[in-house]
Amino acid sequence: MSDAFFANPVYLDYAATTPLDTEVAAAMSACFAAGSKFGNSSSMHLAGRRSQAAVDDARHELGLLLNVRPRDLVWTSGATESDNLAIIGAARFRAHRGRHLITMTTEHKAVLEAFDALEKEGFKVTRLAPDSEGVLSLGDLAAAIRDDSQLVSVMHVNNETGVIQDIAAIGAMCRERDVLFHTDAAQSAGKLSIDLARTPLDLLSLTAHKFYGPQGIGALYIANRPGCGVMPLFHGGGQERRLRPGTLPLHQIIGLGVAAKRARERLSADFEHVRILREKLWGGLKDLPGITRNGSADKHYPGILNVSAAGVEGESLMLALEPLCVASGSACNTQSGEPSFVLKALGCSDLEAQSAIRFSFGRESTLQDIDLAIEIYSAAVLKLQAISPEKAA
Amino acid sequence: MTDTETQLPGPYSALVRALFSDPRHVVSGPAASGSQPEVRVAESVAGAQILLSAVTQNDVLVSLRFRVFGCPHLVAAAEWCCERYEGGPVNKMGDFDVPRLMETLGVPIEKFGRILLLEDAIRSLCSQIDSASGNQERKG
Repeated sequence: MSDAFFANPVYLDYAATTPLDTEVAAAMSACFAAGSKFGNSSSMHLAGRRSQAAVDDARHELGLLLNVRPRDLVWTSGATESDNLAIIGAARFRAHRGRHLITMTTEHKAVLEAFDALEKEGFKVTRLAPDSEGVLSLGDLAAAIRDDSQLVSVMHVNNETGVIQDIAAIGAMCRERDVLFHTDAAQSAGKLSIDLARTPLDLLSLTAHKFYGPQGIGALYIANRPGCGVMPLFHGGGQERRLRPGTLPLHQIIGLGVAAKRARERLSADFEHVRILREKLWGGLKDLPGITRNGSADKHYPGILNVSAAGVEGESLMLALEPLCVASGSACNTQSGEPSFVLKALGCSDLEAQSAIRFSFGRESTLQDIDLAIEIYSAAVLKLQAISPEKAA
Repeated sequence: MTDTETQLPGPYSALVRALFSDPRHVVSGPAASGSQPEVRVAESVAGAQILLSAVTQNDVLVSLRFRVFGCPHLVAAAEWCCERYEGGPVNKMGDFDVPRLMETLGVPIEKFGRILLLEDAIRSLCSQIDSASGNQERKG
């Protein structure tokens, strides 16, 4: 392949992070221009009030995206912090009522390890396994909820497989049993329609950089209803209703606000775009020898496609796929080299999980990118299968 | 990638990348036929597998080929060995040295076990070639 080809890596890792939208970048850059807004939004003087107005605008835009009151949104540093604040904060808030909590084995580490931490505080945690398609059984959830259950946390869209959980049904069940319901919407906010006025959700985590906003800024939605609340994890200021103290990062919040506005305007077009790309990609890969699609074929967000190939070693596959930027089956902790616990929970063997590749695409992905991905992935799989001892007998 | 980008921090040296991207000593088909017998050994550990195949004639490695299921370092190491030993005397494989190979290829220490797998395969291959040639001499 030509130097020009290698100079332009094909980015198909939108589930890890998305490129900054140009309007977002422009709005953020304007913050750094001479004479622009820079005041501390907590300050009472004119510079502070200007910044506060910009923060309010961003909160308003995010409120429109989710159809909630802006005042029910708390700024955080991203989904990991939102998850921790939601889970640890809500568990402590309701600890006087009971200490039983429920989540899934296929959640993001930010959720799983928050529950691990709560176990050390004496909380009891039930971790439900999904079915072989990655979907939570509502019957399993109903059976797991006890009289002392206080919180259920189930992610909306799985970050590795794209499998969608039925958060409306889960939320309804939780509401009926007087249990708080939190969802990690890092992979769905700004990509799928989320109407919190119509969905019985108590807590929702999101991060801007998954929908073309900046890294380092996110939000937590906390429903304004009796029995719902969180105890703060940080202390030392009155910002964000004392739930998340600290000086607000103005330029990042402005970026998130513009990203939310852009996402709301483009939601349907973006969804249709990635649906076409995923269909084309799977169509080009499905006839490869030993190929498997991981996760539900119908309950999925189309911006993610996770596939495994028999007779292929994961680390070698990742190198053979250069210059494709994709995620391996050991994501989200790619340093570990361990097979994905999410795929193993779906019944994949260690080897299947280790050979898994997550393709994820977005607004700037093109059909040409998909053609290249098909070409490069197919060549890599066939090459590695050809050098595998399995074929040598 | 640009020249600068190939220098970005990463787990693979330029030599590993080159050997991995274009391995020329892969076993390409079933066992060799004809007058020269093929010797094959297979080793596996922790999900990695290696197969070596050798054809010798008059104590010369006429052909040394491999198959690997493993990481890029193991693939590159197998290719490096085949390049180094094919066409030479069989006993040259006795100089196989794990630390030297790891240094040459820039194999990280956590991959030590994988390289030991290759060492086991080479030792086993030498031993089998020895016994095969001993048998030939006895038959002669």
